[in-house]
Amino acid sequence: MTLYLVRRLLVLGTMMFGLLCITFFIANIAPGDPAALAAGPNATKSMVETIRVEYGLDKPLWEQFSRYVTDVFTGDLGRSISTTRPVIDHIAEAFPATMELVLFAIGFAVVMGVSLGVLAAVWRDTFVDHAVRLFAVSGIALPMFWFGLLLQLLFAVKLGWLPVSGRLGLITERPEPITHLLILDSMLRGMWGTAFEGLRYIAMPALVLSFPCLASVARVARSEMIETMASDYVLGARAHGLGAFSIQIRHALRNAMLPVLALIGLRYGWMLGGTALVETVFDWPGLGLLMVNSVLMSDFKPVLAVTLIIGFNVMLANFLVDMAYAWFDPRLRQG
Amino acid sequence: MLRMRFLTTAFTAVLAAGVTFGVSTTDGKAYEVVDGSKILVWGGRTPVSNFDPHQRFDAPHHVFQSAIYEPLVKYKGNPSEIVPWLAESWEMNDDATEWTFKLDPRAKFQNGDPVDAAAVKYSFARALKINKAVAWMLSGNLKEENIEVVDPSTVRFNFDVPSPSFIGYLPWWMIVNPKQVAEHEVDGDLGQAWMMTDTAGSGPFRVKQFRPDAVYQLEALDDYWRGWPQGDKHLGGVIYQVIREPSAQRTALMTKQADIVEGLTTADYQQVANVPGIVIENNVGSSPFAIKFNYQDGPTKDVNLRKAIAYAFDYEALPELYAGDATLMTSPFPSVLKGHVEIDGFPRRDLEKAKEYLAKTEWADGGLELEYVHQQGNDETRRVGLILLNSLKDLGIDVRITPLLWANMVANAQSIETAADMTGLFMATYTSDPDSAATQYHKSAWGQWFGVSHYDNPEVFDLIEKGRKTAAWDERAPIYAEIQEKITADQPELFGYTPNVRLAHRDYVKGYEYTSIKMSGFADFGSLWIED
Repeated sequence: MTLYLVRRLLVLGTMMFGLLCITFFIANIAPGDPAALAAGPNATKSMVETIRVEYGLDKPLWEQFSRYVTDVFTGDLGRSISTTRPVIDHIAEAFPATMELVLFAIGFAVVMGVSLGVLAAVWRDTFVDHAVRLFAVSGIALPMFWFGLLLQLLFAVKLGWLPVSGRLGLITERPEPITHLLILDSMLRGMWGTAFEGLRYIAMPALVLSFPCLASVARVARSEMIETMASDYVLGARAHGLGAFSIQIRHALRNAMLPVLALIGLRYGWMLGGTALVETVFDWPGLGLLMVNSVLMSDFKPVLAVTLIIGFNVMLANFLVDMAYAWFDPRLRQG
Repeated sequence: MLRMRFLTTAFTAVLAAGVTFGVSTTDGKAYEVVDGSKILVWGGRTPVSNFDPHQRFDAPHHVFQSAIYEPLVKYKGNPSEIVPWLAESWEMNDDATEWTFKLDPRAKFQNGDPVDAAAVKYSFARALKINKAVAWMLSGNLKEENIEVVDPSTVRFNFDVPSPSFIGYLPWWMIVNPKQVAEHEVDGDLGQAWMMTDTAGSGPFRVKQFRPDAVYQLEALDDYWRGWPQGDKHLGGVIYQVIREPSAQRTALMTKQADIVEGLTTADYQQVANVPGIVIENNVGSSPFAIKFNYQDGPTKDVNLRKAIAYAFDYEALPELYAGDATLMTSPFPSVLKGHVEIDGFPRRDLEKAKEYLAKTEWADGGLELEYVHQQGNDETRRVGLILLNSLKDLGIDVRITPLLWANMVANAQSIETAADMTGLFMATYTSDPDSAATQYHKSAWGQWFGVSHYDNPEVFDLIEKGRKTAAWDERAPIYAEIQEKITADQPELFGYTPNVRLAHRDYVKGYEYTSIKMSGFADFGSLWIED
């Protein structure tokens, strides 16, 4: 197991370095002049040159790359050319916001998806089953951007139940950070009003982000439940006179959850990528929004940082899933 | 599977229809009330990352910077006039090489320090040294050593060459408190790091909250040195909430989660105009749109082809893009500029004339394809491309519409070889002086995004230089009239239109004053109040 762990860590490190190289060179060969953009529309050539020198963009590409790699390994992600702030500051503000959103979305997807999947399996080929399958197809087919706007129209404009966008009220007092997750920190500090407000703000973006994942979870949970319910040990349990609820929840669901958890591991990366759309629609100040703004400004330092962080998270999730599988199935460690 | 897809589509369509019809609004108000003061909520599209007026210069930054900092003079009213601000009076010598300003003795910075001549000199020198933001306006002919502190309340600017247009740029040059900047200077950075999020100005507001990319809050100074025009009703502060999508902006205004929004699409403005309690400010703008030809390379190098395109274009379709809220250009210079003249026979659609010009080219029967580049994400400029495509079909010319990110448009404009045949661009107007428009037709604009035409006429260049160095307006006016005539004759671009400046707000927001020589979407927070 130790050897397998070391091998996987080496692969992880190599992939991270590869990602670092690829993103750097793609960002640098992309057309557009970040210095000219940052200098403003009427800037003179001398103004553009001032910015180019200030950000080291006048240096040869290999020199920029070697400095970038050194900086990354020392924890310096550079400075944003459009905001002039250190990228690490942007990341420190945006990362917790994205994590909070993704955690809520995953939580919602698991609870709702599994529940719907179980209901569909238990009432197979009934109206409930058809409704869940329709819902699952909708989740995969609906464009998130459009779905988000639709929810805003319904819950913010028509019903007025939820705020249109943002993470918290404009002048709401923020809790002193502990975990940097606003809702959790509000609870830990006993600021229940702020926590409730945070829940109202996160409801729509988390729902939109979770929807495709929720649909997939419902489909997988349904099919796994159906398969498990038809297995020998469930028949045996029935023969021993166990109640339907006990068989479905305590025995069948527990087994059906393993593929669901693997699916969540894979979907986690997809969700991080999906935040770009959702955060734009709901002005959620996370990594996705930072990425979109930076791309539009040809501000490649934040783009590189966000790509690395999302890439690292995805690889880490896959690594943990692999390790978990290897833990449970020793044959995989030989591969 | 097909049935599932059908059901899904039907389900979402019903949901969409259900929420679209009969839009209702909530009863709340966007503004916040803190200790009896009303704090306006502004829903803006672009993040504001830097409050230092010498580091950043664009529309959303300027809205904030001009609430915190003040210039010697300001543009006010419509038509725009230069009015005293930190300076109570000024004079120019006969040959426009000396400008002397007398400061208002009441003027003080937010911390109580007086705004004196030394602070003015320091501020101009700082902006020139940093060499960002507004530096481009004056860096060509203003030097630090030529700014003279005559006495604590008098400052003089000396120029090597006559500079009659100098005062027109001053409303963009903000005065900062040298003492506060010096206290926060790190490694000779002129206080740039500190000034990003802190305040060293004399304006009516100071920074209270800075949450990057999300929310920025200003608070009002009750003892503002000029006093408040609306008395005790003045705003207690302003919150700028970043709302990136126009549809979300519209929703925020309709649901009373924002008091003011700007930058909506024409369709959105039309929709919100019908909602009770919402007012649309709609004024003739000063930022012309033009399709700039590549003057020196490719087919558009031929003046007859440029003329043919200009006469084939369907100009009447342009204002329709804005539901009529746009004005066609009648000269290369926008109408808000001093010295603007209407040119006789300014190109309008005339297919016969267009064909006559085309016949003089090597493409007498058409059969060529031209590229039109516009900014990606800007729907109006995309639709101009469609009008162009449709108009040129009558000449047998195909148009390839290429959307580009702004960064790439800037890059393409840098050389004659990379500039597209036609590039659709908006120009901002920063002063009421005609030199600001003439500059884009000077050789010095080559390489800049607004010089993408690479227009080349030495006669016009000489006139532009003569105009900017002539002191007396009576002598300058005919020069600019001639410049407009000559540029029209050369047709370096298809002269388009000026869209109106629109802004939507709740009806309880009062005191909005439009000033044409300001960037689109500007509002002076100091003049606003909430009447409720």
